Amino acid sequence: MLRYALRRGLLTLVQLAVLAVVVFLLTSMLPGDAAEVAFNEQAGAVQVDELRARLGLDRPLVERFADWSGALLHGDLGTSLAGHRPVTGILADSLAATLLLAAVTAALVVPLAVVLGLLMGLRAGTRLDRALSAVLLALTSLPDFVLALALVAVFSLRLGWLPSTWVGADSGDLLRHPALFVLPVAVLLARTVCLLSRQIRAGTLAALSAGYVVQARRLGVPRGRLVLRHVLPGAAVPGVQELARTGDQLLGGVLVVEAVFAIPGTATALVDAVQNRDVPTVQALTLLLAALALLVNLAADLVCHRLAPRTEVLR
Amino acid sequence: MTAPAPRRPRRLLATGAALLLALPLTAALFGPLLAPLVTPADGAPYARGGGHPLGTDGMGRDVLGLLLRGGPSALGVATGAVALAYLLGGSLGLAAAASRHKAVDEILMRPVEILLPLPSLLVISVVGVGWRGQPLAIALTVAALNAPAVARLVRAAALDAAGSPVAEAMRMQGESRSRVLFGLLGRAVLPVAAADIGTRIATAVFTVAAANFLGLGMEPTSADWGVTVAGSREALLVQPWAVCAPAAMLVMFTVGLNLLADRLLAPAAEAGTAARAGRALAVRTQKAPK
Repeated sequence: MLRYALRRGLLTLVQLAVLAVVVFLLTSMLPGDAAEVAFNEQAGAVQVDELRARLGLDRPLVERFADWSGALLHGDLGTSLAGHRPVTGILADSLAATLLLAAVTAALVVPLAVVLGLLMGLRAGTRLDRALSAVLLALTSLPDFVLALALVAVFSLRLGWLPSTWVGADSGDLLRHPALFVLPVAVLLARTVCLLSRQIRAGTLAALSAGYVVQARRLGVPRGRLVLRHVLPGAAVPGVQELARTGDQLLGGVLVVEAVFAIPGTATALVDAVQNRDVPTVQALTLLLAALALLVNLAADLVCHRLAPRTEVLR
Repeated sequence: MTAPAPRRPRRLLATGAALLLALPLTAALFGPLLAPLVTPADGAPYARGGGHPLGTDGMGRDVLGLLLRGGPSALGVATGAVALAYLLGGSLGLAAAASRHKAVDEILMRPVEILLPLPSLLVISVVGVGWRGQPLAIALTVAALNAPAVARLVRAAALDAAGSPVAEAMRMQGESRSRVLFGLLGRAVLPVAAADIGTRIATAVFTVAAANFLGLGMEPTSADWGVTVAGSREALLVQPWAVCAPAAMLVMFTVGLNLLADRLLAPAAEAGTAARAGRALAVRTQKAPK
């Protein structure tokens, strides 16, 4: 287990390093560099050159990358071009909302998916299973932003039950307003729960016909114990593997949900930075969000290995 | 359960999927030709009626005209990206599966695994800083993001056939490399790829539409379905058509594709038996020359 964890952790580090290079290269190859963007059109060529020298943009690419990654390792994320303040400040302001959203979603995803998946798997072929499967397939096909807009239209605009935006909410104590979380979390849950529960259903079916479950049943293990102790661990493996892969979709969902509900989170800060072509902020926020996604991936793979040690490091 | 019972709903499902796909596909293929004929001049913002069958959007543009023009970018960018991903990733995966040297397989597949979990919308936002409003840049990015997954899938699907006695027999009988590669391995990959392409295009349409919705992709004045949904969402109750019509097009396309892919997956499971039958056949042919 420890050897596996070390090798898998090393891979995550390599992935992060590759990502850092990709992010840096992509943002450095941009047509029109940060100096040109910082000034509007009326700035003279001299001013642009001056700023370029000050930002160190006239130096070779490799040297700049060494500087940037060195500062990054020391926790210095650079200075935002738009607000002229450190990126760490932007991060500190925006991270709380995103993390809260992610935590609430993560706390709900797994139990919901397990219950739905087990229910469908144990009742495979019945009307309940077919109805649930059809609904879940339809939900996976809905783009996040369409679902978000539909929910807003029904629950906030028509019925007026839930707030449609976080604008005006006090960012200090978000937990005082649970209503704020209902719609965003519902959107984030929809697709991930669908994908996961379909995998758990398939895993349950496979586990039910496995030799060890048949034997346990023959020995007279009570049904509840059979499901929880013998079927579930085997059934969870494809689900956890899927969970690792849903990290990407969840992140995309967070971007969309924060935009729709005007949540002042990290994803909103990122989209704003892209629109202002604020390169240092984009670099830092992308790397941070990607690191979070890679960590989720790592955790899921480790859990998977614990559940079914035969799974390889890769492939 | 008897065999014919599940088949009928499945055929019904396929018909439903085809019907769902027909409208957005027609709109995307012929819409741009039709649009100049049916689009009246700009009117008042968020007007309803008055020569505009679906009303106008916030800039006073005819919603039906936008709908007819927005298809090629909404569906074309994603479809092109997946095609490119299959061209790159597919050939990589086939090459890795067909190579009998473990080192070649490793060299080809290790970088793929490092690139696999890159979050797609994050990469698109980085690309969006410099190349906003350029469909080609988005298509290339989505293709590059999908290629590793495709390579892995194709390799896994072809590996079984590459190690099978059939491949061995073909090599021993001196069949050409390309015949083994495309005749045997290609055919083994086909059912898996067909089901995957469906869901992959649907996901790519999602990603592109979400990027456009967030303002990371096309210009805000573009007719693209994702962009128009974002542009008019404030007026959801005033002028529902401006949001619902392009959103419906996207949903119909993705639901249809997913249903179709779901149907394709069932024969793929049956293909396992076919492969086993083929192996039995190969054993017989191997014995025959004696």
